[in-house]
Formats: sequence, structure tokens, C-alpha cells
Amino acid sequence: MAMPAKKVFEAFVSKIPWTIAGKEMRDYFGQFGTVKKCLLPFNKDTGFHKGFCWITFTSEEGLRNALQKDPHILEGAKFQVQRNRHPFERPSSNKDSEYD
Amino acid sequence: MRMPFHSATEIMAALLRSARLLKFSPSGLLQTAVTRRNGAPLSRLYSGALGGRGTGVCPRQSSPSSGNVSSRVWPYAGACVRNYALATEKKDESGNAMRHSQALQFELALNKLDNSVRRTGRITKTHLLRIFYDTCRRGYPSGNQALLLLRSCGSLLPEVPLEERTELAHRVWEKLEKLGAQYDVSHYNALLKVYLQNEFKFSPTDFLATMEAANVQPNRVTYQRLIAAYCHNGDIEGASTILSFMKSKDLPITEAVFNSLVTGHARAGDVESAKNILTVMQGAGIEPGPDTYLSLLNAHAEKGDMDSLKQTMEAAESADCSLLDRDIMQVIHTLAKAGHQQHIPYMVECLRHERGFIPDAMNLCLSLITQSHDDIAFSILKKFPILQSESSDPDVFNLGNFFLRHCVTMDTSVEKMFMYCKELQESNLHTSPMDFTLFCALEANKIDMSLELMKLLKEQNSPIKPHYFWPILTQHLKVNNTAGVVEVMKAMQSLKVFPDTETLSNYVLPAFPDMDAAREALKDAGVSLESRMFVSFEARSLAAGNLAELYTMLSDTSCPTLDLSVFRSSLILGFIRSSDMENMVKITELLYNDERFSKKESKTSETVSYFLYNLINQMSEEEVQKQEDKLRTYFNELHAKNITISINIYRGMRNLLESYKVPQLIKHVLALVDLQEQASLSINGTGAENRQTNVNAEDTPFIVTLKKAMRTPDNKESLARTLELKLQHEKEMTPSCYAILISLCCRNNDAEEALNLKKEMSRMDPSAMLDSRKYIALVKTLTYNDRVDEAVDILTEMKEKEIVVDGGSVMSIFHLLNDSVPKGVATVRRLQETIFSLGLTAPSSKLCSPLVSAYLHSDDLSGALDAVIDARKLCQFVPPMHNLLVRMVEKGETDLLKKAMDFLSQVRGEMTMLFDLFFAFLQTGRYREARKIVETPGLRAKPLRLLWFAEKCIETKAMEALEHMVDLTDKLFDCDRDEMYSYILRLCKETNDWQKAEAMWTKMQEENVIPRERTLRILAEILKSNGQKVPFEVAESWFQEADVTPQVKEETTPRRAEDASPYWARVVAQSKKGEPQEAYKLLKEAIEKDVSLDATVFDQLIRSMLAKGCFEDAMEVKDIAKSRLPAFQLSEIATNLLIVTQSKKGHAEDALEQLKSMLQEKKVPSKLAITRLVQAMGSRGDATGIQEVQSLIKNLDMNLTLSTMVFINNTAIAHIKNGDLESAVDGLEAVFTSQDIQNPNMSFVLRKVLEDNDDKAWDKLSIMAERLANQFACYKPASQLFLQLLDFDKIEDAKFMLARCNAVAQQEDVLISYLSQKAQIPGQAGKIKTLLSLIPDFTGKDVLYSYLMKSHVVDGDLSSAKALQEHMQKEGIVMDELSLKRLAQLYRKEGETVPFTEPPESFKFYADLLKEKTSKAQESAEA
Repeated sequence: MAMPAKKVFEAFVSKIPWTIAGKEMRDYFGQFGTVKKCLLPFNKDTGFHKGFCWITFTSEEGLRNALQKDPHILEGAKFQVQRNRHPFERPSSNKDSEYD
Repeated sequence: MRMPFHSATEIMAALLRSARLLKFSPSGLLQTAVTRRNGAPLSRLYSGALGGRGTGVCPRQSSPSSGNVSSRVWPYAGACVRNYALATEKKDESGNAMRHSQALQFELALNKLDNSVRRTGRITKTHLLRIFYDTCRRGYPSGNQALLLLRSCGSLLPEVPLEERTELAHRVWEKLEKLGAQYDVSHYNALLKVYLQNEFKFSPTDFLATMEAANVQPNRVTYQRLIAAYCHNGDIEGASTILSFMKSKDLPITEAVFNSLVTGHARAGDVESAKNILTVMQGAGIEPGPDTYLSLLNAHAEKGDMDSLKQTMEAAESADCSLLDRDIMQVIHTLAKAGHQQHIPYMVECLRHERGFIPDAMNLCLSLITQSHDDIAFSILKKFPILQSESSDPDVFNLGNFFLRHCVTMDTSVEKMFMYCKELQESNLHTSPMDFTLFCALEANKIDMSLELMKLLKEQNSPIKPHYFWPILTQHLKVNNTAGVVEVMKAMQSLKVFPDTETLSNYVLPAFPDMDAAREALKDAGVSLESRMFVSFEARSLAAGNLAELYTMLSDTSCPTLDLSVFRSSLILGFIRSSDMENMVKITELLYNDERFSKKESKTSETVSYFLYNLINQMSEEEVQKQEDKLRTYFNELHAKNITISINIYRGMRNLLESYKVPQLIKHVLALVDLQEQASLSINGTGAENRQTNVNAEDTPFIVTLKKAMRTPDNKESLARTLELKLQHEKEMTPSCYAILISLCCRNNDAEEALNLKKEMSRMDPSAMLDSRKYIALVKTLTYNDRVDEAVDILTEMKEKEIVVDGGSVMSIFHLLNDSVPKGVATVRRLQETIFSLGLTAPSSKLCSPLVSAYLHSDDLSGALDAVIDARKLCQFVPPMHNLLVRMVEKGETDLLKKAMDFLSQVRGEMTMLFDLFFAFLQTGRYREARKIVETPGLRAKPLRLLWFAEKCIETKAMEALEHMVDLTDKLFDCDRDEMYSYILRLCKETNDWQKAEAMWTKMQEENVIPRERTLRILAEILKSNGQKVPFEVAESWFQEADVTPQVKEETTPRRAEDASPYWARVVAQSKKGEPQEAYKLLKEAIEKDVSLDATVFDQLIRSMLAKGCFEDAMEVKDIAKSRLPAFQLSEIATNLLIVTQSKKGHAEDALEQLKSMLQEKKVPSKLAITRLVQAMGSRGDATGIQEVQSLIKNLDMNLTLSTMVFINNTAIAHIKNGDLESAVDGLEAVFTSQDIQNPNMSFVLRKVLEDNDDKAWDKLSIMAERLANQFACYKPASQLFLQLLDFDKIEDAKFMLARCNAVAQQEDVLISYLSQKAQIPGQAGKIKTLLSLIPDFTGKDVLYSYLMKSHVVDGDLSSAKALQEHMQKEGIVMDELSLKRLAQLYRKEGETVPFTEPPESFKFYADLLKEKTSKAQESAEA
């Protein structure tokens, strides 16, 4: 599916502990800039999330702020943040409403 | 189970029965000559005795946790550097594929278990079961697969209770037997081992009887283990009977037997006799080893006798039997089991935290937890050393996850776990132990435990979040357990956790038929819900059904903030269904203007933008086309309301609409875009460059003659003739003529003439010069003739004329120096110094090594060592020192040796130094010393170094040294035991020593090594070629008819036993041999005689027939089977073969039916079967069929790595067959432009099109490829096109292609993988050359040449290979050692002497070296 050609400001976050859910992620990244979207996929089979998520900022600045911070620590756990190199396929089914 | 104590006579009878069997084959037991100091190699890296009370029994010869299943260097690993795999392969012999897949399966299974064992010293039950089921599903387990599974059912499963382990072993045994696995003595021995490790009580006599009934003869290892079993129960009488029997059969009594006896006496209550065994051993000439002491320690531990225990430890220490951490852990375990916890702290203090401590200690803890000693396990856990370098963030290092997880698994009480967690956290060993424990409980689906843990967490003021409950809810939801869901909701409420929208909508409500039911049920259960939750649900249900009411609800100012995302999907659904334009527009406008429906930080306009995009995105193409009018009106209405969207969203929508083929809507969307925002795209084109090719200068006829002379074999006569020729053509002489003549003289070792010619040349043209190689040849000739001064002059001249010494010439310099070794130290030193001081080339360890050799040659060890040290100063590297060290050891030069050691450990590290020393001791027969070295704590195997020494031994037939190396490394960490034994077997094969080979097989059983197929094959070959019976099944041998020499066949086939064996066995045997017709005859006979046959027999025969392509016969047999066994079904493998056969015969419909019924029976189709079927459909133009197959297997959770390209390519072919080129091109283009498929490859399609000469299709495809290349910088299709043209010898077309799309020449990876493929097939050298001629400035030329060289070698084309070498020298490209080695091999094959020094190591060595190099290069490129 074709994506809008305009640049998106996405960070890929990994090593997220299971205790943290989308709400905490969104709140945490809100300190770097406006978070447009936070996609933290859950495994429908186990009920746990998959340990990674995508954060979409509304601006390059927000993304840059997030990338500059190191380490990222939330609830005592450290996670990794990097620029999203592989733009995710925007879920085309009804699923996404549950995540953002 | 109870252990029956048999009378001595009963045991004797059983033994004698086996002795009778022994007479049939005297080979088995009697030849086993093991008379080493310590008896048999005993493994110490053992995790087994941790299993239980039987610690002393036989633990030592059981398996090393790392050595057995373990540590392999994968021959296949890294072989697939190139991912240029064609979608299908040409050679498709199904039988071949099956055999291959079987071997692959074993390797895979082994690899998986192995990795686990190497990393952790254990295997998890799930892991093992998965492999077991996989093996069963595939239907045809090989002998070593069975062995692998069996031996994994013992102490490698510390997390599984003992009884369960034995049950599992029995299950494996029975199931695999049913599936046709053939058991030999190694399997019985492995089962015994598992019994011992699991403390399973069984009757040794019955065991022997079972073996007898199965016609399997026990061997030394069997008896040893039976003795251990008796001793385990303190039955000395039983043990003695077997012992005297072993003696009467002259079987060596090894240390292991004595160790068992120590345990036996102790268990019988007679500790004095146990101690006394040590003296008996010494009397028998066997020194008590560490394992003997361990048996005694365990005996004391069982009694809780700490004084004796301490004394024994001291005794062991003073007997130079140092106890490893592992040993101490065993003692701890014994103490724990015997209830002497109070002594454990003392033993824990004795642990030294050696390398490998952690995995061992973890297994000890796991084992203890399994046996409900979690408190002891915890006390050990607390003593774990904290690893600083464990992870990149030391502050986040958490200790004890494994402990907590296993506590959860074993249902340890929540209070205890809480206590452990608290202590871990308070001592800063773990940051969040409770969270982790909860995670484990949730993961293990332990609902009550999870809820209890959450309660405790809550009490600790840790937040409990709604999503903590999701795993539990998910489980309830799966089985529609409404009551369970309500219970969880109640629990949430009592924990004061309020379910959020996500929890309700995803995990709670789906369990109920509708919302009201949910509301009702929860209300009844006393669960109160926030009203806002229900607002969103209401919004959702209205959105999907009634837009007017939704608008009323939303526009009501009392409606709370409600994020659109909560009901967006439903709203989209509603919009698609509804035709209520008025409310659609109103709602959209509301969303656009009212902030309540957008997230805090996003603008309402954005919310609407995304909504519109999603609306279109989620409509299907058909829906959009149908609702075109509606959408147009909708957009226009929005425009009228001044609703705008961003350019970004517009683009996305435009693309969608284009792809839905409704471009007419685009302008209506564009109208929504703010005018200022409009921008335009620009397309950049790329220009192509032209290239020039070099034109070679023409040679004069005289030079041609000279060059010819160069090619004639060297002899004085021809040299004289050539020199005469020179006199005749004096006037035509040019410097290059001189050059040729000089090198001719050098080759004939005529220094005088060479020098004369050189002078003449300089007279004629003072600036004339030779190339570097010819210069060096001249220097070499001069040196050889003791004219060192003149040699030095020439070197100086090289410097003056600024001759460039390239890599290849460096090799020549090395040979110059190395060949000068016999001339003495002074000569070599002078040459070396001249070369280095002139700076002709940089010093390297290689170039320095001849000087070392020269010192060795003159027996000056001290000088040699100094030369080594100097070399290190010169070039930072150390020349090979093995020979030097060997000489030092031989001559007993302790001081020098010490100096060398210090030097080595300083510059190359202690580990390398130790291996150097180890090999030096081995080579000189100092085995005691070698043992000391290899026992150094912390030493781990270095596979390349061990390989190097083994190869050396094999080459020089040094069996003694090799055997010792293998024996001594048995406890070496991470040492691949199978690999080690395969070295000995290789040498046995060279020397044709079948007795030794067979003894090795017994030793492998003793050590619990699982042999790889390859190892068994070597063994089988040795036995066969000596007319011996092969006592095990080699799964693949029956495919290798070509390898078996006829006379061997004669000896092995007429086995009396075979005729006597039952029909089923003979049918199976013939089927496996690939003789289905023979088997069929037997089957018919059996049926006439009304012998009942098992389903597997029929299946085996059907498979064999299908593998040979006998389709009709196979169907006949299937019908017979059905008539006799109504429930008969083809096995998975047979069904796969059937699908392959049907597909190849063009019966795609039948094959499809097979596939469907197979899937219904939950069998998994093979990759080959699917591929063939899809190909059959493709060539018939059946695109829908392919689609069907793809959707059939889509949902299959199978790890077959079937490339999606198979479907895409064959669909394309189907379209082409139907003349629908558009669809074909569309399909392929989509693949290359999307990112979904890694490495898309359409070579298969291209080949088919070329084969069919379908010019029209070809043109279409090439237009597509060029378009993709030029517009999207996607060069793969063009490269594939180019290579196919090359492959079909359409050189002109290929050239044309290259001219139009120059970037193809830069697709190095694609080209190189093409080369690597071609180089393996004979007769393809031309293709490689053509490629070079088309792309003369190929970037990876050295790689190309090495493939070309390989290709020549494969073709056996020496003259081309020679020419290539010369050409490479001219171009100044260094040939890698692997290629050189290949070339040397070719020379020898053609009966010519190798004119250069052949690289000394093995092929594998250099191949590994190259692999390492490339992977390093890749790594650094990626870094």
C-alpha cells in the first residue's frame, strides 16, 4: 500500500518490559514532543505485548529530542530508541483503533 | 518399579546367553584395547548426578554437559553467504531430496539441542518435545536422531522430575521404534545411561534379555553400566558377577567400573571396603582419578560424615586429582538429598567460580528446585558471582530469573517466592523480581498464583495495571469461558484496578454475546463499571448501525471527551454501509470542529485527515468503485464545509485511488487540499557511461616462439635450443625477449647464463627491467648457486628501479627465503635483512619464518627463538613456532621453553600459548605433560587449532599423538567430541585399521557422544571394506551404491541372518536399499503365505517405489494395503512423494486433492511437494490453482522455508502461458517494488521464457526490468535478466542489456553468487570468462578469479588453470591460499609436480579462514 511520501517522524522502541503498556509509552515520549501515534502491538495469543513499539512524533524535533536522550529509563527498565528505518505498514484492518 | 535382586546364577545365565551371541561376532568386544592410565576417558563435565541419590554410581562416564550433544562447528554454517538462490533447482530426484532433508533434519535438531546444551548445559522439556514431535511427524527417524533424543532424556533435563524423564525416554523409545528406527547397542547403552541418571530401578537381567531378544550384543559399555546399576542399589553380588564375566571375556576393567564399586560398597553400608577399592585399583595398575574420589566423597556425603569428607578432599588434592566446581556441586546435591543441609554452607565456600560455573550452578539450582529443595537452591543462588561484563548495562543486570521462573513452574508457594524476591531486591541482585515472577506466572497461565502475586505487589505499593490481566483473559477468551472472565473482573475490582477501554473491548466483551449480556453479567457479579466505558461502547455500536443517533449523541454537549480512535473502525464501517450522506457530513464536520474527539496533542483537522485516509484505505477496491458517486458527493460536501486535508494525506489517498482504478475521484480529493500547500514532483533521470576496453599490443612472432619455449617442460636441451634461437634472432631481441630468456634460465637453474643475459639486457637498454617475479626468480637462482653477493645486488637493483612488489611477489619472496634455508642462517639472514632494509616489502610473520627454520636447521634453538622474538618486533606478528617448540621439548631445553612460553603468552595470549605447548607435548609423546596443560582451568576448545593438529597427525599417520589428543580433550570445554572421533576414524581409514575404528565406536558410546551421519559413514566404510558386519544402521548408505565396491557387496549381502529374518524386515530392508521390485516380490510372497504386515512396511515400500518413479506399482501396493488394513493411510513422507510424482506426471488435480486431504489429516506438505505442484500448475497456465495452493498452506504453521517467489513466479508463468502478459508483468513488478519479499528473484520465469523462445514475453519482461532499473533504481530484475542471457549464451543481447543498464555491472553480490554457482558445475568456466569479458572492470576481481580457478579445477583443465595463474600474476592479483591449494591438487592429479610450495594446511582450514575473513569484512562494513 502506498504511503504518503512526506517524511514521517517515527522512532522504533525496543526492549520494552512487559509491565509497560501503550499509555505509559505515550506519556513518557510526550516529554520529547507531541506524540501523534503510539503503536505497541500485543500478541493476541498470549496477551503480552511484543516488546517493541513505534512512536510517531508530529515533528522532526520531537524525534530528535527522543533520540538524543540516553539512556531511556522508565519504571526502572531501560529501553532502546532508534530512528525507525523500516516504516511500518499502517495496519489496514480494524486493528489500529485499539492501539492509538 | 522395584529393583529385583537376582540370584547370582540368574545373572550368570543372562550373561552366558549374551556370550553365546558374542561368538557370532567376535569383533565387538574383544578388540577394545583401552589401557590408558586412567582407563577409559571419563567425562567430568557432568551434570547428571545432580539428578539424584545416585551420584556416585556412574556419573563420571556420563556425559559432559558441553561435550556430548554439544559443540559442533557447523559445516553448513556460512555456506550460504550468497542469497542468490534460484526459486527451484533442476535436480529433483525426490529420493535424493528426502535423504537430504533427513540428514538436514538431524543436523537441525542436533544444532538446536546442541546450542542449548552448550549455552546452558541443559535442554528444556518443551524444546525436546518439539524436536521429538517433529521427528515423529516426519515419519522416518534415523538411528542417530533416535540416539540424540534418547540421551537427552536424562540429566540434561534438570527441570523435569526424575520419573517423568524416564517416562519420556520410554515414550521416545517406543514411538521411534514403531516408526522404524533401528536400534543398535549404542541405543541400549544410551537408555542405560538415562536409567542411571534418572535413578530408575530396573532389572539388569531383564535388560540383557531384551537386548538378546532384539538380537543386539552387549558390549563393554553395557556391562559397565549394568555394574553401575547394581552398585547403585548396593548389590555387590550382582556387580561382581558381571565383573567376573567381563574378566573372563578379557574385557578391560576401566576406572569407571571401580568408581561404581566404590559407590556399591558404600551403599551396601561398608564404607571401609569402599575406601579399600582405591588400593585395589592401584594394585590393578589404575590410578584413582578425580571421579574415584568423587564417588567416595558422595559416599561420605550420603552419611553426612563431614570429617571423612574433608579428609577425602585433601587426599584427592594431594593425589593431584583436583576437584572441579562441578564435582563439589555434586557433593552439595548429595548432601541436600540426604538431608544434611547443615553442611552445605561449608561446601559452597569450596566453590572456586571457575569458568563455566554459572551454567553448572544454575543446573544445580534447577535440579534442587525440582526436588523441592528451593531453599537450598536459593542459598546457592545468593553466592553467585555478579558478572560485571554480563550485559552492556550492568545496572540492569538481574540475578535469579531462572530461579524464579522455575519456582513458578514447580508451584512453589507464593509466600516463599515473595520472600526470595524481597531478599533479591534488598540485596540489589534484582531490580524487579516480583514483576518478573508475575510475568512467569502469567506466562505459565497460573491464574491463582498470578492473582495472589498481584495482591502482594499491590501491598508493596506497586501499580497493578489493567494489561497485567490480559494474558489471563486471553486464555479464558480462547475457550469462551465467560465465568472465568467475570472472575478476573472481580479480582480486578478487589485489587482496585479499573478496566480501561482496551481491556473491555478486546478481552472482556468478546466473551459475551452482546453488550447487554456483559453489562448484566458483570452487574450480577458486583463489578461496577465506569460510565465512560459504556459511552464509548454505545458510540461504537451506533457508529456501525445508526449514524443519525450517533450524531445526536456526539453533538450533545453532555457527551464526555471521546477519542475518535475508540470508535473509528466502527465509524468507518458505518460510513461504508450507510447512505445517510447528511449525517456522514455532519459527523465529519463535528469531528473537524470539536476537540473532544481528538487526542490532546493532535489537531482536529489531522484527526479528520487520517480518518479520511483510513476510510479509503479500509474500503476494498470493489467498494470504492461501487460507491464512487457517494464518495464524490461526500468529498464535495466536505469541500463546501471548508474542511481541508494536508498534502501528505492527499498523496496517500491519491495512491490508493489510483490503485483502485478510480482516478476520476482524485481531483475531488485534491480540492480538499489547501492551495498553498501544493507542491510538485520532479523526476530525475540517470545517465549511463560508456566504457573502454583495453587493446593488447600485438606480439612479434619471435616473442611468440619464446613464449612457446616457456611452456615446454624444463630441461637443459630445450634451454640450449632456445638460446641458439636467440643467437639466430639477435637483432630481434628486445628487453621482453631477454626477460623471457632469463626466467627460462632461472627455471633451469643456470645462474651463469641468466646473469649474462641480464647484463646484455642492461647494455642494450640501461633502463630495461624485469618484472618483480622474474627478478626474484633470478635472486633465487643466484642464491641457490651460492652467489649471495650477486643476489643481493639484484635485490638492490630492484629497489633502484622501483620495482613494485605486489602480493603475489611477496609469496615468491617467501619461497626465495624458505628455499634458502639449507644454505644456512647467514644466507637467509642476509637476504632477509636486505629485503627488509631496502623496503622491498613489509616484514610479515611469514617472511620471518624461514630464518627461524634456518636456525632450526642448524640446531640452534636459542637463535631460533631470538629470531622469532625479532620477527615479532619487526612486524607485530609471530611466525609459526610449532617445530621450534617440539625441538625444545625434545631436547629438554626447559629454560628456553620457559622463555618461549612467556613470550608467547605475552604476545598472543595465554590460551594460544597453552595450545602451542599442548601440541608440542603431544607430538613428542609427553602425554602426562600434555594432560596437565589441557586441564588448565578456563581453557576452552579452539576448533581451528585442534583441526590443524589433527590434520597434521592424519597426514603423518601419527595415530598415537592423535588418539591422545582426542582422549585428553574429553573434558575440554566446548570441544566437539564427534569431530574429534571423526579425526581418528579418518586416520583409521587411511591405515585401514578396522579394529581401532570399532573400538572408537565403543568409546563414543562410553562418552555418550552422538555421532553425526558423516562419522558413522566413515566407520561403516572401514568395516565394510574389511568384510566386517556393520553393527548399526547408516541411514544414507543405501543411496550410495556408487561408492561401494563390488567385492564388498558380495561379502555383505549374503547374510544368513537376513533370510531368516521375518518378511517385514526383508521388505523394509530391500525398500531401503532402493530395490522396490525385490521388495515387492517379497511382499507378494508374504501375502500369499498370509503373513500379517504392519502399515509401516507398506508405507516403506510405497515410498521406495515413488522415489524410483514407479507410480503405478506404488498405487497397486497402496490398494493392497487398503484391502488388508482398512485404516491404512500414507505417511507424511509417502504423501509428499506422491504429490511430487503426480505433479511431475502432470496430474495436478490429483496432486491438489492429495494435498487437501493431507492437510485435513494435519500432515505437513514438504517444500518440494508444494514446489512441484505449483510448477505443474504454472506450466498448465492454472493461475487460480496456484492461488488455491497458496491459500491452503497460508495458515499452516510450518517452518518450511518455502519462498513466496515460487508462487509468484509460477503464477507469472501461468499468465504467460495464457498469453496474459500484462498480468504476468504486473505481478512481478509488484514484488520488486514492494518491500514484502526479501530477495525477489524471477530467474525461474526468465529461464522458462527463454527455453520456450517466447520473444514477446521476453520483451515485456525486459522492458519491465529496465523501467524498474531506470526509474526506481531497482536493479535486481535487470541483473537477473542479464545473467539469464549469459546463461543461454545470448552474449550479444547481454552486452546490449549492459549498455542500456550499466548499473548491472555494479551488482557485485548478485554477480558473485552467480559465479559461485557456476564454479561448482563442470564445464561452466566459459560463462565466467564471458562475464569477465563483458564487465572487464569487475570490482571483485580476486573473487572472480578464485571462482574461475575453482571452475578450472572442477573441469580438470590444468592448462587453463596455469594460464589463469600467469594472468593473475601479470595483473598483480594475489591468489588466495584456497585457490593455490586447489591448483596444487590439480597439478598432482594431472601427474605434474607442483611448481610452488603448496599451502600446508587442509582445504577446510583455508576455507574457514576465507569465511572468517569475509565475515569480518562484512562486519566491519556493517559496523
